[in-house]
Amino acid sequence: MSYQVKLPDIGEGIAEGEIVKWLVKEGDSVKQDQPIVEVMTDKVNVQIPSPKNGIIRRILAQEGQMVKVGQAILEIDAEGQEQAEMQPPSQVTKEEISKKEEKQTVQENVIATPSVRRLARELSVDITKVKGSGPLGRITEQDVKAYAQQRTESATQMTETVTKEKEEEVEIYQLRGVRRNISEHLVKARNATVAVTHVDEADVTELVSLREALKGPAEKKGVKLTYLPIIMKALIPVLKEFPFVNASLDDEREAIVLKKYYNIGIATDTEQGLIVPVIKNVDKKDVFQIASELNNLAEKARNGALTLDEVKGSTFSITNPGTFGGLFATPMINWPDVAILGIYKISKRPVVKDGEIQIRDTTYLSLTFDHRVIDGAYAARFMSRLIEILQDPKRIMSEVL
Amino acid sequence: MQEADIAIIGGGPGGYVCAIRAAQLGLRTIVIEKDRMGGECLNYGCIPSKALITAVKLYDKIRNAQKLGIKVTGVEVDMQIMQAWKKNVVETFVSGVEQLCKGYGAKIIKGEAELVAKDRIRVTNKDQVEEISTEKLVIATGSIPLELPFMRFDHRSIIDSRDSLELTEVPKRFLVVGGGAIGLEIASLYQKLGSQVTIVELTEQLLPGTDPEVVRIVQRNLERKGVKIYLKSKVVYAEKTPYSVKVTVQTPEGNVEVETDKILLSIGRRPNTDKLNLGQLGILTDQKGYILVNKQMSTSVEGVYAIGDVTGPPMLAHKASKQGIVAAEAAAGLPASADWKVIPDATFSEPEVANVGMTEATAQVKGFAAAKARFPFAALGRSLTAGETEGFVKLVYDQNTKLLLGAQIVGSSASDLISEVSLAIEMGASVEDLAMTIHPHPTLPEGIMEAAEIASGKPIHQLRIGQR
Repeated sequence: MSYQVKLPDIGEGIAEGEIVKWLVKEGDSVKQDQPIVEVMTDKVNVQIPSPKNGIIRRILAQEGQMVKVGQAILEIDAEGQEQAEMQPPSQVTKEEISKKEEKQTVQENVIATPSVRRLARELSVDITKVKGSGPLGRITEQDVKAYAQQRTESATQMTETVTKEKEEEVEIYQLRGVRRNISEHLVKARNATVAVTHVDEADVTELVSLREALKGPAEKKGVKLTYLPIIMKALIPVLKEFPFVNASLDDEREAIVLKKYYNIGIATDTEQGLIVPVIKNVDKKDVFQIASELNNLAEKARNGALTLDEVKGSTFSITNPGTFGGLFATPMINWPDVAILGIYKISKRPVVKDGEIQIRDTTYLSLTFDHRVIDGAYAARFMSRLIEILQDPKRIMSEVL
Repeated sequence: MQEADIAIIGGGPGGYVCAIRAAQLGLRTIVIEKDRMGGECLNYGCIPSKALITAVKLYDKIRNAQKLGIKVTGVEVDMQIMQAWKKNVVETFVSGVEQLCKGYGAKIIKGEAELVAKDRIRVTNKDQVEEISTEKLVIATGSIPLELPFMRFDHRSIIDSRDSLELTEVPKRFLVVGGGAIGLEIASLYQKLGSQVTIVELTEQLLPGTDPEVVRIVQRNLERKGVKIYLKSKVVYAEKTPYSVKVTVQTPEGNVEVETDKILLSIGRRPNTDKLNLGQLGILTDQKGYILVNKQMSTSVEGVYAIGDVTGPPMLAHKASKQGIVAAEAAAGLPASADWKVIPDATFSEPEVANVGMTEATAQVKGFAAAKARFPFAALGRSLTAGETEGFVKLVYDQNTKLLLGAQIVGSSASDLISEVSLAIEMGASVEDLAMTIHPHPTLPEGIMEAAEIASGKPIHQLRIGQR
């Protein structure tokens, strides 16, 4: 008895996913709950288990293909109880089975001669996708060849526009998985926001000594403390004071949504590409808790083990390219957030303080913001306030601990 | 130890065709047959039965040639000679198959095969045991007839279809249990040879699954010739006496006692897989033991294919052959697929019955705007001149698109006529395509054209549009 496996509802609000990798192939036998396919949704990989014991009859979605929730991705010849129950009485079996067979073939409603169908198989063309030029949509040999030709041309065209190189001189990576997700997400972010970057300089000498002081207690709690959790905590009072930075713009309602919770996304570099896990309710956690969560999420991100929940729902984000060098950058907003803070390398620089030149720990900070929601002056005031806190050891202490 | 790229267990119409194609594709091919090449079909089924049916049909025609102006006296059947002729036909065919296999380089090994592993076969032939190691394996072991618990084959009075084609004497009384294709062919055969024939069928009609309108023609013909038919009935008791078998038939009208000389049990067949260790090798089967396969004929175990009757009904030689080709090509790495739209079937009853594609009822169930067009052979020049006017051609099509969906033909040469419709369906033809194709006059295939003209709404040889 043939059974269709549909893409299940993976999580809240997920309407589609990308087939990343089939873990089974046609003809394989599978056990119930055995993982059969890896599906990627919003930067998270999910393994879909087989709902039944049986044999994989047909794989209906190719790797790299986007499929909607509820769409059939696989046909299983299921074995076991249900089959027995659904078996018609012996005398009608012949008719039932021949009906079943017809359903799989004629019902596909493809009008094409046997030799054209074979040509399609030889050219790896899915004949159900070919538009027939004949009467009743009959697919001719020319239709199949044209489809195959067009497919090659569009593939060639793409490589040409991207590389303008000969095929032998380049290596082609299909846009798949995380990379495709990043690409789609960034195009959306660019099209959906009017991004402007404001950069300022901060004297973080006090921050550096504060971190030194906290290192010991952190180690006792078994966590590695970086600047990031301290800056995240310092951000909270500023976000509260400047609520339009912790917000999103709802185009449909033509409304700005100010958020009373503080979930901070952290841009994280992994082997597959950029992933932004989210630390929830930063205002309610202490700096050690945040540090431990950060380590945990970064580890999961690198192993591709993040759950959907762990990459969704940010209200504001931080990117920290400082560890890789550079002075400052103009980051992309992690839409639907309206702003992202960039923190950069801390270096010792000569600073005029109290009328004399001193060697101080300084850094650049950037705020990239959606100008539709935030004006330049507002952004500048936000940044000044953040720097004020970062430069004031007492303020930091009270916010951090 | 022999080594092969592909080993095929069973040399029937599935296995030998598979072997030839595999060898043509350059694979080192071994086909293992425990009995005779050609399997059930060539040796004990399709071919010998058609030889006998043809001979007996000629006998019947000669006896009825008076009205055509041919005076006939002294016509007699000599069963010995008829059997010898049949045997000769079979021998010719079997040796042809062997020569084809050898000619293409497929090696035939005789003996009983046992699966040691998915890539290792043990073949036993009398005292000789031989092992074959193979990369790909094709299971083509066919099927065997079912028995009833209280009626086992003794191959004398309770016989199977093989036995029924070996009889050298015409039984006076002949009971057929199971009114499917095999049962009806043999029933017609012995009716013409003079047996008093009785048919017992479990379901409400002969040829279960066939369009009832078609079955009515066959049943009427049989009953007119004195064949007793019990439908919705079953044999519940059988007792052998020295000279006959007495059975009790449970009918809707109560129990009936029937005394007979021979009983043909043709109640169905089951897959012949007992010696294959399918379970141990992880080859999955359905509840009835048929091996599960995909469109490349691959089983649940990689490198192992199954074709023909072992994969389940319909159990047809021509289906097995096509599956054999697909399996051989798939094993050779070609993009083969069992993607045919239809599998035609033919029953050599009196008159013949042939079906392809959907009946009107199935087309309706599948959501087509199902319609049918019927043309009787009685209105066809060739049928009238042949004196065989029984039956009709029925085409099933979609009213909106005019796309051809199926055909049922009952009448003389139905088995030869069906292929035109099969081709039309595979080619995606509409009824208009059939109607507009010139058919030579006077021939039987004109019946298909005429039915197609009715379906197109433009009949010539019918006064009113015959659509209902």
